Amino acid sequence: MPTNFSAPNPYQPIPMRVLRAYYESNDRTLKTLELSFENQVDRVAFFKKFNPGQFCQLSLFGKGESPLGVASAAWEGDFVRFTIQRMGSVTKALHGLKPGDPLGMRGPLGNGFPLADWKGKNLVIIGGGCAFSTLYALTKHVQHPQNRPEFGQLTVIYGARSSGLCMYKHDIQSWYQRDDMEIHQAIDVPEESWDHHVGYVPDVVKQIAPSPDNAVAIVCGPPIMTKFTLPALVSLGFPPEAIFTSLEKRMKCGLGKCGRCNIGSKYICKDGPVFSLAELNALPADI
Amino acid sequence: MKYILPKNDLNALLTAWSAEYAVIAPQKTGAYAEFLPFTPQSELRLQEPHNTRYPVKALFFPQSEAILKYNRNVGQLENLEPEPQKRVIFGIRPCDAKAVTLLDTVFAEGDNQDPFWLARRAETLLIGLGCHEPCATCFCTSAESGPFHRDGLDALLTDLGEVYLVAALSERAELLFSGLTPADAAQQESALLLQAAAEKSLPKVFELDGLKEKLDRVFDKEIWAELAQSCLGCGICTFLCPTCFCFDLVDEAQRDTRVRNWDTCMYRVYSLEASAHNPRPTRKERTRQRLMHKYSYWWEHVGKLGCTGCGRCVRYCPVGLDIRAMIRKAGAYESEVLHAN
Repeated sequence: MPTNFSAPNPYQPIPMRVLRAYYESNDRTLKTLELSFENQVDRVAFFKKFNPGQFCQLSLFGKGESPLGVASAAWEGDFVRFTIQRMGSVTKALHGLKPGDPLGMRGPLGNGFPLADWKGKNLVIIGGGCAFSTLYALTKHVQHPQNRPEFGQLTVIYGARSSGLCMYKHDIQSWYQRDDMEIHQAIDVPEESWDHHVGYVPDVVKQIAPSPDNAVAIVCGPPIMTKFTLPALVSLGFPPEAIFTSLEKRMKCGLGKCGRCNIGSKYICKDGPVFSLAELNALPADI
Repeated sequence: MKYILPKNDLNALLTAWSAEYAVIAPQKTGAYAEFLPFTPQSELRLQEPHNTRYPVKALFFPQSEAILKYNRNVGQLENLEPEPQKRVIFGIRPCDAKAVTLLDTVFAEGDNQDPFWLARRAETLLIGLGCHEPCATCFCTSAESGPFHRDGLDALLTDLGEVYLVAALSERAELLFSGLTPADAAQQESALLLQAAAEKSLPKVFELDGLKEKLDRVFDKEIWAELAQSCLGCGICTFLCPTCFCFDLVDEAQRDTRVRNWDTCMYRVYSLEASAHNPRPTRKERTRQRLMHKYSYWWEHVGKLGCTGCGRCVRYCPVGLDIRAMIRKAGAYESEVLHAN
């Protein structure tokens, strides 16, 4: 019989405020919001728990909630960044927010990337489309001078349908000047003045052929990209235990209670969203 | 401690408890019995061999509940967590009490415990009524429960005709019944015989041993389409199920509240994603999810079956789908169909 009835209400969002808001893509379907905390105690609690790869439920009262991956590293500042694709009524309303507007947030939720297990490993980060947002958070985390020595080589492969849909452009452009990482960008079809890769992400991965030696590969992208990238990595020699991906499902509570995001006995929101391919292989095909 | 409660004294006892507790007991509303607040004028429905139609989970986890009230303009929130209230739920059947303990593993254990569930659970006593005449839709003995099982109960009553034999199972229940006459040896003996007979009257409808593994192995097989063929997708099996806990969170903009509503995996929109992708696009996948969740995934989560054999889904399915037959067929599919080919 439970007796502890003073548990905090996990459905109650913390108050946040829009610090900056800007479009990421030239078609205006992707918008980045950077949110600041209204209460210091919430900020401290958030960063104590936060790990790249986690997500939050952004909450607009009267509209509802939407689960979104965090696109910033803790060291970047006292804010949390999200890049939001306009899809339904909540994300449309989120796109309408301006600096200074209030909103709610629950999180960080989920497990995030197992960074402790990756110490000393080479990281191969492979992203496609707006799913690159949590990989951007991961890359930013690794790039910090204090964190960088904990990992080996860093290779980032990022694909988008067109150059206009490439996110975080200015920052990623500066990565070409870094001597501690490799960056490969790809778009699906050729464009004038695009001097990087052209082609689908799985093909670009095969072409670059990152070494599986002492490496882990982290893949986030649309289902079709993930479907073809995972076998490409396997054929390059990456074992299923060294391949990680982040899953998405329709979610409500984000706490493993409301039921809908399960694959077999695992809840994406609580046991994930990050899983190794070995873990996924052990689950039923309910994706 | 075992006591004797004459049926004629029941009303007076529940009335006496009402001074300290909100007493809730099954009563007739329309065509069905339902758990409602007790008053001395209440007509209790304890003689029906089957359960209330509406599941007891609703007393802890209401079908619709406002969980937050907000002020959109200033972003202020009001938490709507209930205060713990002293309650006695009288006449709950063992399968339903067991279901409450199963839902404890969802709402009251581990991280992020649910304050709404905890507040309602903290000071509620469950006084059970054993089933001496289990009905045709009951299959508790096949589902890790039984007509006189004690899981989750503070006390268990056995109907001995003119009197109930009361087994007090918790200190709190001991206080409720301490004024009654202790049961004598003959009464205790006849209760045991009755309980054994009731247990025996229920046939084993499937064997749980190895069932999970059998179901897991046919996950991607066509059997689920066959089982779902006559399903209307109405969701009544999940809404009335005492262990189904899925919910939706929605904002009721006109009332400025965030509301939690029961939801069901039997609906298409339940798992429909913003991209229009749906991992469970047809009733085949949705039926599989319902059955696999109860008969496989619950095992992995907490080492228990997610069904107590209450039989509501069998009794109230509008097209007569019977979970016992569905589970039997799915469990046998591997040996009958796959090996035959």
